[in-house]
Amino acid sequence: MIQSTSETILSIKDLHASVEDQEILHGVNLLVKEGEIHAIMGRNGSGKSTLSKVIAGHPSYKVLSGSIQFKGINILELAPEERARIGIFLGFQYPVEIPGVSNLEFLRVATNSRRKELLQSELDTFEFEDLVKERMKIVEMDPAFLERSVNEGFSGGEKKRNEILQMALLEPFISILDETDSGLDIDALRIVASGINKLAQPSSATILITHYQRLLDEITPDFVHIMADGKIIKTGNKELAIDLEKSGYDFIDNNKKDKEMVN
Amino acid sequence: MKSSTICREWLNSLPPTQGCLEKEQSLGRELLSKHGMPSNKDEAWRLCNFNRLNSFFSLPIINKSEDVKSKFPNKDKDSERIIINPNRNQFLNINLPNGIEKLNDKEIEENLGKIIKSTKVKNDLSVCLNQASSAKLLALKVKSSFNKSLEIVIPSIKENSISTRVFLIVEEGAKLDLLQVFLGNNNSAQNHLIEIKLESKGELTHGLISLGEEKESSSICTVAVEQSKNSQYSLHSIHHGWDYARFEPRIIQSEGEASTTIKNLQVTKSKEQIATHSLIRFEGPNGKLDQLQKAVASEYSHCIFNGSIEVPQIAQKTEAAQLSRNLLLSKHARIDAKPELEIVADDVRCTHGATVSQLQDEELFYLLSRGIDNEHANSLLLKGYYDEVISYLPKSSKKWNFVKNLMNDIK
Amino acid sequence: MTQTNTVEEIVAQPYKYGFTTEIETEKIPKGLNEDVIRLISAKKNEPDFLLKFRLRAYEQWLKMKEPDWSGLTYSKVDYQDLVYYAAPKQDIKKKSLDEVDPKLLETFEKLGIPLSEQKRLSNVAVDAVFDSVSIATTYKEKLAEHGVIFCSISEAIIERPDLIEKYMGTVVPINDNFFAALNSAVFSDGSFVFIPKGVECPMELSSYFRINSGDTGQFERTLIIAEESASVSYLEGCTAPMFDTNTLHAAVVELVTLDDASIKYSTVQNWYAGNEKGVGGIYNFVTKRGECRGKRSKISWSQVETGSAVTWKYPSCLLQGDSSIGEFYSIALTNNFQKADTGTKMIHIGKNTKSKIVSKGISAGQSKNSYRGLVSISPNAEGARNYSQCDSMLIGDKASANTYPYIQSKQPQSNIEHEASTCRISEDQLFYLQSRGIDFEESVSMLISGFCSDVFNELPMEFASEADKLLALKLEGSVG
Repeated sequence: MIQSTSETILSIKDLHASVEDQEILHGVNLLVKEGEIHAIMGRNGSGKSTLSKVIAGHPSYKVLSGSIQFKGINILELAPEERARIGIFLGFQYPVEIPGVSNLEFLRVATNSRRKELLQSELDTFEFEDLVKERMKIVEMDPAFLERSVNEGFSGGEKKRNEILQMALLEPFISILDETDSGLDIDALRIVASGINKLAQPSSATILITHYQRLLDEITPDFVHIMADGKIIKTGNKELAIDLEKSGYDFIDNNKKDKEMVN
Repeated sequence: MKSSTICREWLNSLPPTQGCLEKEQSLGRELLSKHGMPSNKDEAWRLCNFNRLNSFFSLPIINKSEDVKSKFPNKDKDSERIIINPNRNQFLNINLPNGIEKLNDKEIEENLGKIIKSTKVKNDLSVCLNQASSAKLLALKVKSSFNKSLEIVIPSIKENSISTRVFLIVEEGAKLDLLQVFLGNNNSAQNHLIEIKLESKGELTHGLISLGEEKESSSICTVAVEQSKNSQYSLHSIHHGWDYARFEPRIIQSEGEASTTIKNLQVTKSKEQIATHSLIRFEGPNGKLDQLQKAVASEYSHCIFNGSIEVPQIAQKTEAAQLSRNLLLSKHARIDAKPELEIVADDVRCTHGATVSQLQDEELFYLLSRGIDNEHANSLLLKGYYDEVISYLPKSSKKWNFVKNLMNDIK
Repeated sequence: MTQTNTVEEIVAQPYKYGFTTEIETEKIPKGLNEDVIRLISAKKNEPDFLLKFRLRAYEQWLKMKEPDWSGLTYSKVDYQDLVYYAAPKQDIKKKSLDEVDPKLLETFEKLGIPLSEQKRLSNVAVDAVFDSVSIATTYKEKLAEHGVIFCSISEAIIERPDLIEKYMGTVVPINDNFFAALNSAVFSDGSFVFIPKGVECPMELSSYFRINSGDTGQFERTLIIAEESASVSYLEGCTAPMFDTNTLHAAVVELVTLDDASIKYSTVQNWYAGNEKGVGGIYNFVTKRGECRGKRSKISWSQVETGSAVTWKYPSCLLQGDSSIGEFYSIALTNNFQKADTGTKMIHIGKNTKSKIVSKGISAGQSKNSYRGLVSISPNAEGARNYSQCDSMLIGDKASANTYPYIQSKQPQSNIEHEASTCRISEDQLFYLQSRGIDFEESVSMLISGFCSDVFNELPMEFASEADKLLALKLEGSVG
């Protein structure tokens, strides 16, 4: 699928970012092109989730320097909802529960804001119900979940399916899926993974953030990046993930030592 | 008798102002003569049984120095005990342990009365009553080198009224386990005012057992605490056996960033009335409060709880939880619960809850179905109910034998 | 924080209903005395018993003091500087809508309440009250076919004095409180509903109150009676023009249900709240009380309170009949310098009575929003149960949310449960919605609607969306 002529979707250059006045990202570089699947792996606290929040525009995270371009546009000045509308999607590690707000209504408003951006007609209640029920099949979700409040009382697996459902409805150009595999049993993992595979398009790209190999057994990445201390310290192909699974993260420490020695 | 007449007579019965509390005495008397005794026009006293309160005032304030001859359970090895005898220099018979010192006159001058001022409520009558009548002061500071626990026992005297005042500074980084015991006597009244200053990183675990247990005993007690940053204050108290009792814990987190725990149990029977009026105010950010208020009212008795929590604008990120649980065990008993939450800060998490019920039928049925008879089942459930407070009291409190009395009360 | 500021901006939307209708009105001179009361009564051709009722109330009122207990301060009302009767100049006894001044019809149409036969709502009967008088009631004849009486209280006083004499003042006694006494002395108009035994009212009933004059006190009086097994759903709506003086609104509402009857009473209150500096606005001091006299009867109050400068309002239920049910669902939104002190009283008297309270308060700006409630279980109310839930949301750090839930029990075979929480709009929830492309304004409004959903669900279908819109108006501006 990868062609040298593919268009760049996401380009991150020397990104430094902080949360609560503490710098977490110390110069991240990443290039994602159409059709590519990237995996970012690393320990807890290595900055993976921070990177995803910064791309999506969470107000608690501050960009200190560097740039993020999406299809050639600087997105750092855009509000989170504007980023979502132009096609950036973040699948949350812990999707928040919103009691009282109907899931169906939420999905409809979100879908219509994206459609508006794409100059497509907005869907009325009936049209939308048809669409959402069709998309729910991709993640094998029961339509009963539409009647409930957003994520309220959903199990871990149900929340993650609801995330992938949103991805299916918003049809983003880039999906950043933060620990989508965490807390899923093997069946739920398969369903979610097959959903992600089905939704992959030649014109879109995916970044999987994970610290286990098992999601990568289901979805084959083109690139694997390893993050430590707020930087991408190593990039390779899927073999790197397998090595990592075998030898653990210790080699990062060795790697660091090597570096220090060089310095 | 009219409230103003009672007030005048009571004030006239007091000895002239004198001693180290002279200023305080004048202050209290002045305010009382202006406002008069508590009446049902004062919102905070509206539900008070005024007949009981008036008999409180009919008892003479003890005037002479007197030694109380009572038997108390032995104290623990690692604990110091101070017995407060009315109008007696409280330091006479006590060797203060290492780490506890008397406050000097200057320290008293600088600190006394400040905390009750900062935790003041409108028409602060409980405090005025004590100020007007307390003649002696026990003022101590606890240093960080202190590593024992402390007991302060306050007995009362038959057919008399006593009034005591304690001031305590827990110095920076000091830890204190304090057990306070109030004991009633036949036809007696007591009024206590305790001020506590918790300096930063100070920790105070404050057990308070307030036991009337005799006929026509009554008590009014105000505990005023000021907490500095990073201090911890835990108040675990039980009130039982009083004909009339009023308890007013007031805590102010003067800079926020502190933690407060209150677990309070009050149990009434026959025609008793016990009221708790608590006030917790946060004057800085990041304060924490966990408050559990429990009451059990049986026969013809009346339990009252009024719980204020104030979270002003400056107290962002306060987390406060208050729960008031009440058991009403008889058709003639009565429970009044009034939480009052005033919140101006927007980034806070405050919850409160209140329930009034009887012992749960299902729980009771479960025990009965296992062959336990009704009486035992009831007392097992009650024990469990009490334990949520009692289990937090220091071990040494068991010697005071109140659990048995609590259980005997209610059948 | 900038986010908070923006939320505050969203909440501060201009008042839409602030226009005045230029119409010739007949007003009596300012001031209150016995002659004024006699004059009001004479203007309405009232029977003697009612004049006596008014005079008794006036006598009581003179002896009473204006309350100041709730800690809400407001500039005092000068009762001698108010007009106690104002009516659009026209023949009051109009026979049909054609005779109503078109300006009035236009006013109501502008408010979203079309009255003319072609445009009126098909399933809702409306009583439109303008200043002191009811100007029109729709579907009267159709309702009469079912034995339902729906008319202005002035008409009912003339046509059914028997029912008025039997019920008025029996739920809210004339000396109940300062404002109820004042209302009993000078009330001008209001709505009357009577549902006879066994009848389920075939449509929603609605009264719409419009204050137009700036210096007129508004004192309407509503009485709803549901006989055995009867049921009705009733809604009132209120708006007023913008004046920089404060207008007093002191209404009394009495509800009575007999055995197995039920009344659902909903309010959407959007009186003018004053400007962003706290100048002007309505003082809304209202006494609303329902009495479940019959066994298994039910009274349910739901309210959406967004207006008024100062609100004191505690719609209450006296649960007398065994197994009767009282409910209270409330949303109160305050902004700028608004002060709302609202809640309910559930007085359990009969056996196995049940009550439920759900209150949602939202305070923004420098407003003060208090829930004040009383749940009281009398010694005979064996098996009584209450559940209360009071949640507050704060927007900005200058608004205040207070909760005073008072519980009183004298019956061991009863159960009271109360839960309350205070929070603000969660940043995580906001970000989640925004990250799905929903803009900031709409996200905030969705979260606030979500916060209030327990109460919206209790509003009659026809009005739930209207209430949502009303909140949206105050909250969003462009949306809705």
